[in-house]
Amino acid sequence: MVTNDATILKVKHDVLREVAKLAWEGKLEEGRDEMPYKMIPGPQAQFRCCIYKEREIIRQRVRLAEGKCPSGKDSMNVVQVIGAACEECPIASYVVTDNCRKCMGKACQNSCNFGAISMDDTRAHIDPSKCKECGKCAQACPYSAIAHLERPCKKVCPVDAITYDEYGICIIDEKKCIQCGACVHSCPFGAIGTKTFMVDIIRLIKAGKRVVAMVAPATEGQFGPDITMASWRTALKKMGFADMIEVGLGGDMTAAAEAAEWAEAYKEGKKMTTSCCPAFVNMIRQHFPTLLDNMSTTVSPMCAVSRLVKERDPGTITVFIGPCIAKKSETLDLNIQGNADYALTFGEIRAMMRAKDVELEPEENSYQDSSVFGKRFGNGGGVTAAVVQCFEEMGEDIKPEVMKCNGAAECKKALLLMKVGKLPADFIEGMACVGGCVGGPSKHKAETEAKKARDTLIGKADKRKVLENLEKLGADKVHMHRN
Amino acid sequence: MKVTICIGSACHLKGSREIIKEMQDLVSARGLKDKVDLNGAFCSGNCVKEGVCVTVDGTLFSLKPEECTEFFEKEIVGRL
Repeated sequence: MVTNDATILKVKHDVLREVAKLAWEGKLEEGRDEMPYKMIPGPQAQFRCCIYKEREIIRQRVRLAEGKCPSGKDSMNVVQVIGAACEECPIASYVVTDNCRKCMGKACQNSCNFGAISMDDTRAHIDPSKCKECGKCAQACPYSAIAHLERPCKKVCPVDAITYDEYGICIIDEKKCIQCGACVHSCPFGAIGTKTFMVDIIRLIKAGKRVVAMVAPATEGQFGPDITMASWRTALKKMGFADMIEVGLGGDMTAAAEAAEWAEAYKEGKKMTTSCCPAFVNMIRQHFPTLLDNMSTTVSPMCAVSRLVKERDPGTITVFIGPCIAKKSETLDLNIQGNADYALTFGEIRAMMRAKDVELEPEENSYQDSSVFGKRFGNGGGVTAAVVQCFEEMGEDIKPEVMKCNGAAECKKALLLMKVGKLPADFIEGMACVGGCVGGPSKHKAETEAKKARDTLIGKADKRKVLENLEKLGADKVHMHRN
Repeated sequence: MKVTICIGSACHLKGSREIIKEMQDLVSARGLKDKVDLNGAFCSGNCVKEGVCVTVDGTLFSLKPEECTEFFEKEIVGRL
C-alpha cells in the first residue's frame, strides 16, 4: 500500500511494539526513558538533523503510545501533533518554479486579479502578501511553472481544522477536528499520531479482568484470504483476551434498528442520516448542530455488540479493533451507555501481538456471528444495503432514495444540502472514509488491494438472514438507541 | 457542564466504570442530559491519588465509587 509515510511506518510500529512489550513485562516505568536511546543508538543521525532531535521524537511517540499528549500539554483530542517531528513545511501556497521562462505572454500576470505577480531577473514572482490563493495563475501558465504547495496535512483535512503556530508548527483546532484521522498518514514526516489505549488494555488483561475483543466488519480481507475470523480469535485468545466477537453482528443489529427508524421517518416524510460512523457523527455535532434532530438515534454496531456482550456477562471490558481512529473518540463519549470501553487500530493490536510473539495464522473459518450484510457494513453503501435487506425481511414495501456519501467531502456536501432543505434524497449514508470503513486511516491494505481476499472470505460465509440471525443469537432484545 | 472521568487502567481498577454507570443513571434519572456532558479521558498522570480522577468544568477531583451520589449532588447538581 502506498502512503505518504511508508518509510516511517516501521518506526511508528517499532515504538508501539516496544511500549507494548514493556507494558506486558510490567517494565514500562523503568524502560520508557531508555527507549529513545535504544531506538536511536547514534552516533549518526538517520532521518533528521541530529540524534537529539530523533530521540526527542521517539520520546514524544512513546508518550502518544501510552495515551498521553506528546508535548506534555493536556488536551482531550485523540489526534495529536508530534511537535518535534513537524518539519514546519513552507506555507507559501503558490510558488513559481524553475519551469518559468519569463515568457512574453505573461498569462500569469494577466490572470491575476490581485496584482500579486511581478517579474524579477529570471522568473515571475508571487508576492505572498497579495496572493489570495485563487490558483488562476497556475491554470494560466503554459509551462506548468506555478506549483501549488500545500501542507499535506492541511490538504487532506475535510473540516479545515489544521493551522500553524508562528513557527510553522502544525496545530489542530480541536473544536473543528472530527477525529477522522485522515491527516495521520498524510504527513510525510509522521508528525501526526493518535493516543492509544494499548497500555491500559494490557494492564487490565494482566490484572485478570475479562476483556473481550470486538473485531470490525472491515477486517476480513485486510490480511489476505487465509486470515479468517477464526485466525483472529485464536491469536487474540493467545494474548489473553477472554473471547472475540465480530462487530458485523452489530452491523446486523444496527441495520434492523435503523430500518425500523427509517421506515417511520419515511412515512412521516422526515429526512434522516445514519449514525454509525463516528467521524460523521462528530461532523454533524461540531459543524451541523442544527441537523442533530435528523441524525438516527440508533447506536453504532460497535456499541450494539458491546451492549450484547455486557448483557451476557456484566463487568466485561469490551475492546473494539479496526481500521478506525474516530472510534477512539466514540469510546470517550460517556453519554452513551454500554459502549465499548476502548478502541484499538489494526496497527496497535498487531504491535501488542508481536510484543508477545503472537501472529495471525491461517485457519479454516469455523466462526460466524454475522450475516453477509453485517459483514459488508464496512463498505461504502453497506449500511444502505443492510437496511434495505431488513425492509424486505420486515415486509415493508419501501424504496428510499439514499445519498451514499463516500468520504468526508461528500458527507459535508450532503449535510450542507440537508441544512438548507435541498437534499435530493430521503436519507444520507455518511461514511467519513473513502470506500467506507475498509478505507479507514489505519487500514492495513488499500481497499483495492484487499478486495479480492475480502470477497473470497465473505463469499464463504453462509447466507443467513439478518432478522433471523438476531433472533437466533438473542441479539434482538438489546436496547438499540442512544438514550 | 463538562464532566470528565478518567478511563485509564489505574482509574479503572479503582472503579471508574462503576462511577460512570452511576453518573449515567443519575443524569438520566434527573433529566439532566442536556445539561451534563459526560466524557471519558485518557490517563492524565494523576494516578497517585486514592480515587478516580474526575474533572468538573476543569477542576480536578479524586472520587471513590461509594462517594459518587453525594459528589453528584454537591459538585455537579450544585454547580448547575
